[in-house]
Amino acid sequence: MIPVLQPASPSMRRTLPGGFPMRVILGCLLVAWIVAPMVPVLLWSVAGQWRAPTVLPSSYSLQGFADLATADTARAAVSSLSLGLGVAVIATPLGYLGALAVRALPAIPSRFVEFVLLVPLAIPPFALVMGVNIALLRLYVSPTLGVTLVLVVTALPYTAFMFRSALASYDHRFEEVARSLGASPGQATRHVRYPLLASAAARAFFLAFLVGWGDYISTLLIGGGQLRTLPLLLGSAASTTGNEQLTTALSVAIIIPPLILLAGLTLPAARKRRQ
Amino acid sequence: MPFFGPPQFSADAWAGDADELVRSSAISLYIAAVSTLLSLVVGFVLAAYVLAMPRTGRIVETLSAATIPIPHVIGAGAIGLLLSDSGFLERLLGMPDAFPALVSGPWFVAVIAEYAWKESAFVALVVLGSISRSVGDLCDAAATLGAFAGQRIIRVVLPLAVPSLAVSAAIVFVYTLGSYEAAWLLGPTTPEPLPVRAVRLFTSVDLAARPQAMVTALVSVAVSVAVISTAILVLRRHRSLR
Repeated sequence: MIPVLQPASPSMRRTLPGGFPMRVILGCLLVAWIVAPMVPVLLWSVAGQWRAPTVLPSSYSLQGFADLATADTARAAVSSLSLGLGVAVIATPLGYLGALAVRALPAIPSRFVEFVLLVPLAIPPFALVMGVNIALLRLYVSPTLGVTLVLVVTALPYTAFMFRSALASYDHRFEEVARSLGASPGQATRHVRYPLLASAAARAFFLAFLVGWGDYISTLLIGGGQLRTLPLLLGSAASTTGNEQLTTALSVAIIIPPLILLAGLTLPAARKRRQ
Repeated sequence: MPFFGPPQFSADAWAGDADELVRSSAISLYIAAVSTLLSLVVGFVLAAYVLAMPRTGRIVETLSAATIPIPHVIGAGAIGLLLSDSGFLERLLGMPDAFPALVSGPWFVAVIAEYAWKESAFVALVVLGSISRSVGDLCDAAATLGAFAGQRIIRVVLPLAVPSLAVSAAIVFVYTLGSYEAAWLLGPTTPEPLPVRAVRLFTSVDLAARPQAMVTALVSVAVSVAVISTAILVLRRHRSLR
């Protein structure tokens, strides 16, 4: 996800107007902009008591995190995890196939596939859910499967985009070389194409996982309260005031797993490029 | 549609509260427009800073990329804790009497702040991904030809970033237009943006509100499609933007 940059050239380094103090101020402002919303979340998650006029909590405790250790939260975590994985497992290969179709089909059908792949971006998720809900109920689709299917539609533009940009810079001659060295089409695909597309697949998988892991409104409307994921617990906790410790501890618990995944995806690649 | 008996067509749900629909659409467009503008500006400054400052830029880049996996419902909760009445910001400022109502206030300040915060990181990511390879050499050339730092930003970096800014503007605009969580948690009860109104009517116990909910959803889809089509037309017209 983090694009690896070429080292800035000397003149680009002097491109920010203003001298050294201006650059320091700008840097601090940008860091403050990024970090500011998360500061109260982190402080509240470990606060014991934090009454209004004080800037910092007057006592600290891990009660918020301790309160998370319930069977309800564990069930919600399992639901969130399986929803994220389910969406990713279906949407990643579909995105790959979509990107391949856009590339391989003749102009007019290719345009049509491209259009279909982009339509979910233009339809607000809540409208999609309201439209499809009746069909899902008529077909007796279980809430979990229904939410997964709808979120696959939401995730498809992202996975297809990842594969499209990867295929745009993909060199087909590698496969041709493998074929001329005697590999069967299947072998060429397995040993040449899939390894070359692996990082794009990992990024697509990650984005699709995020769609399922963090979704609120589709799960609420289709799940109808039967499918309780972590964001749903958070949404009902955040809409009432007074239990900030639990809400923020839950927020931290939702953010940490994707961040670890993100670090796992980007750090090895960045290290390899730096060597 | 009656509760029982054959369904009939009627335009009541459209005509019945056309004023409300127009007001909700206007509010949604206002929120989306201001959020998009803010996230474009902040996102561009973020990208320029990351490109110009090799070491500290890397820290800013990592922090900003780390906010991307944060779901909007958490971002909305976080902005709520930061900007609400007796929230973190007001405490930092020493609880001034004249602290404005940012959360649930009339101007949707907290809602816009949440979208701008989340989407500026996205804009920066897209801009960086598209210009980081070419911008160094061109800036060198401009510097050799005597362009000042400010001129290089305006005349070289900005034009290079315009295509990716345009694409991300369309995506951010449509996304904020159809996003529910922040508007629901941080906005006032009236006037309602389109997503909040649609979901409230859809989940209402009164089944007679269903047609109105569907009308609201359709209006949102129509507005989004109109925006996307305009964006595609503009991008087609100015081939240089692609």
